Amino acid sequence: MTKTTVPIGPQHPLLKEPMSFQLGLEGERVAESAMRIGYVHRGIERLCQERSYVQNIYLLERVCGICSHVHATTYSRAVEALMGVEVPPRGVYLRALMCEFERIHSHLLWLGVIARNIGFDTIFNYAWRDREIVLDIMEDLSGGRVSHAANTLGGSRFDLTDEHRDKILEQLQIMDAQIQLLLGAVEHERTLRERTRGIGKLTLEQIHRYCVVGPVARASGLDIDLRRDRHEAPYDRLEFAVPVHTDGDVWARTLVRVQEAVESVSLCRQILNSLPEGPVTTRVPRRVPAGEAISRSEAPRGEVIYYVRSDGSDKPARVKVRTPTLTALVTLSEQLADVQMADVSVVLSGVDLCIACADR
Amino acid sequence: MVPFRLLVYPGFLFLFFCAMLFSWLDRRIIARVQGRVGPPWYQPLADFIKLLTKEDVLTTGAHALASSVLPMVSLVSVLTAALYVPVAGVSADSFDGDLIVVLFLLSMPALTYFLAGWVSVGVYSIIGGHRSLLQYFSYEVPFLIALAGPAVLSGSWRIADIIAYQGHTIWGALTQPLGFLLAVVGLIGKLKRDPLDIPKAKSEVVGGPLTEFSGRKLALWHLALDMQTVVGIFLLVNLFLGGSRFLTGLPAFPVFALKALGVLLMLSLASALYARLRIDQLATLGSRWLAPLALLQVAVVLWMRG
Repeated sequence: MTKTTVPIGPQHPLLKEPMSFQLGLEGERVAESAMRIGYVHRGIERLCQERSYVQNIYLLERVCGICSHVHATTYSRAVEALMGVEVPPRGVYLRALMCEFERIHSHLLWLGVIARNIGFDTIFNYAWRDREIVLDIMEDLSGGRVSHAANTLGGSRFDLTDEHRDKILEQLQIMDAQIQLLLGAVEHERTLRERTRGIGKLTLEQIHRYCVVGPVARASGLDIDLRRDRHEAPYDRLEFAVPVHTDGDVWARTLVRVQEAVESVSLCRQILNSLPEGPVTTRVPRRVPAGEAISRSEAPRGEVIYYVRSDGSDKPARVKVRTPTLTALVTLSEQLADVQMADVSVVLSGVDLCIACADR
Repeated sequence: MVPFRLLVYPGFLFLFFCAMLFSWLDRRIIARVQGRVGPPWYQPLADFIKLLTKEDVLTTGAHALASSVLPMVSLVSVLTAALYVPVAGVSADSFDGDLIVVLFLLSMPALTYFLAGWVSVGVYSIIGGHRSLLQYFSYEVPFLIALAGPAVLSGSWRIADIIAYQGHTIWGALTQPLGFLLAVVGLIGKLKRDPLDIPKAKSEVVGGPLTEFSGRKLALWHLALDMQTVVGIFLLVNLFLGGSRFLTGLPAFPVFALKALGVLLMLSLASALYARLRIDQLATLGSRWLAPLALLQVAVVLWMRG
């Protein structure tokens, strides 16, 4: 049978960010695939060495267009560890609050993208409409819908009053109803299940081999979540479930992500209700002592790792970012083997790639 | 009288108006279901005019003559089919067996659509073209068998006779509910609408066979598809919903229009409520369910005739 080479990308309606695939098709079956990334490389890690520690917070926020806050938070935590500074409890809670809002935002955005890619525009429109509620809350809190600039070394840059908290709780009430509606639609709509079940399967063994993290790992039965496993504030005082499924296909990933968003709504509510009193920031020393630190967080796509090395000057000697997308990217060639051309879109959207994060 | 029927009502101008109206209503209904507002009434017309003014690009290696003739063939077959499909009891022409001619002419766009992918050399176009042929075999067989139901029941292949037969009995959709549903599904496949927009699925094959078309040619393709929607809906109204039944003249029109809008509503809701099927899922559905059910319906019709 003759092979046709079909290019997906760097620009293609399926892709939300530039990357490139060359698919070798036999009929409608994908016989081979080659991937190329690096189209959105901006040299952020190098730029970090040219800027001061505080400037870097706002630069690193630009790593990702969706989970910007978790990048800034993880970086700040690394620098705070170098300085030996403890963030006041209220600051920790507010940072976590923003991270949870971001998780809801990210998962709803993803649900919209996959629904759009399998031709289910109604779910796409519903998910993106409901995501607006979270974006509005985040804009209220920090002034920014996507890049919040809500972090500073030593704590949070925003605080909230009691009236403000009540207003957010009200908005969360609406959010809760909407997200339950989406969960019901996802669980019961047959065409959605038919298109995603059994596609892009990853076994637990493959997850271990490629060190996959986040929702993709949890959909294959690997029960990891840094928020729960690290026993740190504020998550050690909050009650939440970590959804785990064992099928390992895109259907399981869909369920994991939507159920996680439901948990995040409940987490936001708990954080707002148990917000400790006190200052949101603490004073930090002007100099960062020489040394190195590693910091990890559970981003919407899984564990993000920051490594920061200081030589005692006002600029970091090295900042290294390991994003969760990188681990998922390397599984793609195995996931794409032998799938139908029509399922390529499902496989690619199923892992929730953030190319800008991976390229930096 | 004949030029008026050909060009104005129920001919070209009326069809053009209906194409724009139906396309707007369709977008509007889907938008409302999805919690959006939808476009203003002049949007389809504005889109059409805008496309006419755009540059007409021909890809290297594409067949120039074929790519300009194909959209016209598609449009002309739909317009010719429309001559024999009565609107509120009025048609430009009618003869014994016109239903078969209409079905043949309505199949022509599928062929030109496949060829459009073939003559424009892009890889997405060719894959889209292949898919459109596969899809054709899945929906066309049950569609044709389902439409044979009313003809067999009334004992005539003339659309006017089928309407008249329903006029002194009841709607075809009531005697053959299964056939009506299958015809609607077949029409969705024929028009390549969501959830059967497999040949032109954006996230898979970009624009399908029409990927490399632009400007006037793309405008013609869109117009042909919009008119095909109108003619297809009118055909179903005539065969299954009794057309305008015993009414004639002016009072017949609102009745007919309401029925046509009802069928359009079914198409729009189907678009909004389901995810796109995969081509192999459609092929399985077509051969395992749609075609046997259509045969079953015809068997029931034969039994009803005694």
